[in-house]
Amino acid sequence: MRVLLLVLCLFIPEMLISRTIVVAPAGKITSLKNAVALAKDGDTIIVKAGKYNSFNTLINKQLTILGQGYPVLDAGFKEECLTITAHHVKVDGFIVKNSKTGAMRDYAGIRLHHTAYVTISNNKLLHNFFGIYVSDSRNIQILNNECKGSAIQMESGNGIHLWKSNHITIKNNYVTGHRDGIYFEFVKASLIHHNLSEKNFRYGLHFMFSDDDVYQYNTFKNNGSGVAVMYSKRIKMTNNVFKENWGSSIYGLLLKDISYSQISNNNFIRNTTGVYMEACEEISISKNNFNNNGWAIRVLANCINSKFIANNFIANSFDVSTNGTLNLNHFEHNYWDKYEGYDLNKNGIGDIPYRPISLYAQIMEQIPQSVMLMRSFIINLMDKVERSIPSVTPESVKDVQPKMKPWKNL
Amino acid sequence: MKILICFLWICLSLSACNQGPEPISYGKDACAHCKMSIMDDKFAAEIITAKGKIYKFDAIECMTDFIQENQEINVPEASFLAMNMAQPGNFIDAKKAYFLKDKAFKSPMGGNLAAFELKQLAENNRQNPDWEIFSWDELLENQQISTVLK
Repeated sequence: MRVLLLVLCLFIPEMLISRTIVVAPAGKITSLKNAVALAKDGDTIIVKAGKYNSFNTLINKQLTILGQGYPVLDAGFKEECLTITAHHVKVDGFIVKNSKTGAMRDYAGIRLHHTAYVTISNNKLLHNFFGIYVSDSRNIQILNNECKGSAIQMESGNGIHLWKSNHITIKNNYVTGHRDGIYFEFVKASLIHHNLSEKNFRYGLHFMFSDDDVYQYNTFKNNGSGVAVMYSKRIKMTNNVFKENWGSSIYGLLLKDISYSQISNNNFIRNTTGVYMEACEEISISKNNFNNNGWAIRVLANCINSKFIANNFIANSFDVSTNGTLNLNHFEHNYWDKYEGYDLNKNGIGDIPYRPISLYAQIMEQIPQSVMLMRSFIINLMDKVERSIPSVTPESVKDVQPKMKPWKNL
Repeated sequence: MKILICFLWICLSLSACNQGPEPISYGKDACAHCKMSIMDDKFAAEIITAKGKIYKFDAIECMTDFIQENQEINVPEASFLAMNMAQPGNFIDAKKAYFLKDKAFKSPMGGNLAAFELKQLAENNRQNPDWEIFSWDELLENQQISTVLK
């Protein structure tokens, strides 16, 4: 107890001498740069509303920097706006805008390099090349920010870009008009939740070589090519919405070289392809809704040991398609609105198996031009015949226990 | 009328024998190897096979991986093109190019390769101490240096 008191006594004066520095357009200190130069570790800087030029202001001390009434930090397309290299920094409540656009360097609105325990919250990042750029860092919180890119395709970098970092939390942000909304490269053990990423040029969310991450409760809407998760392991994707990603080679969720991952409780609505899987291993896809997609799932033949359990497939043009035989993948307990079987023992499970790959889907794989025959009488007839006497569609792909009624509360 | 028909005929015959590279439409075309849409005009690549079929790639490492997996397309009649780092948006012949591997060049698939017309140019553009320069044949022979990171 005594020791504790002694320690407290030692620290209280230290806490008392931490100061608050006020920056105002008409005040004593008129720029953030000067305030940082005057400040010591542990100080607070309050920036009053107004417009400030900020040409790569370096924050190399442990500071809490708060904006009051959204002060504007403008880099005037000449430089980056803020660079944070110190630990324990908080930047809250700013409008950060107009970073330089460059071919060789990735200029950013707010850059974090080689740091830890930094919080970036409640900021608006407008017309930056890259919005928030984090490299070589850990334990970073990115909360409640709004990133709006330049909306010019060749001049846009990623909204929230992370490279070689770990233990990052990205929560409640809105990203639009960038190349990739949120981009992960070599990022481990991180969490992305409750974000909205829409109308970005490439992907709403893009994973490369990043393992052990979780993303949940996000909405990815109307992005150039949906969401891509590539060359990663142990990714958990739950409770997200993938919506309205339309066009050739555009996917709600593109999985390439992914293993040991879980995809559950997501909604895939109105995408050209809901989920596209290539070279994937041990993926569990369960309790998802696939509504109104062109292809609900496209699984290439090089995927193994994936399980598709208890999903709803409703109003998709094609439920499942593949380019091969799909021997080692398992379908069970899904609801398929195209199922025409019966349930004599009334246990809610259809008595005959459902084959999700239609003959027409197989033909489409080989001859994409045959799309013009879609919904024609002859195609329906062929599909019916194939369903009753399967000969061309892969024998192994079937749901032996299809649900009669859709799953509720998904 | 005759002139019009003549003109149409010429147009048709010219369009039929187009064997050159096809420009990449950024944001729309997808890489033939990794399926990502091609966005960056500094790293893209293209193969025109002996029969004239075109494959587009978002990075040089995707092109070399694709060749490793489809050895049959690697014949002398096929042309291999890589973006000229010195002039983004312009293709150069990959067989004659020099490839700088330097982590300053963050290519989309982690290969960090940039193509230059001359060895001297490649050397001038190096930025980090652990740079390396390869010729096209070296790149294809040693899959380790150019493969997509896994």
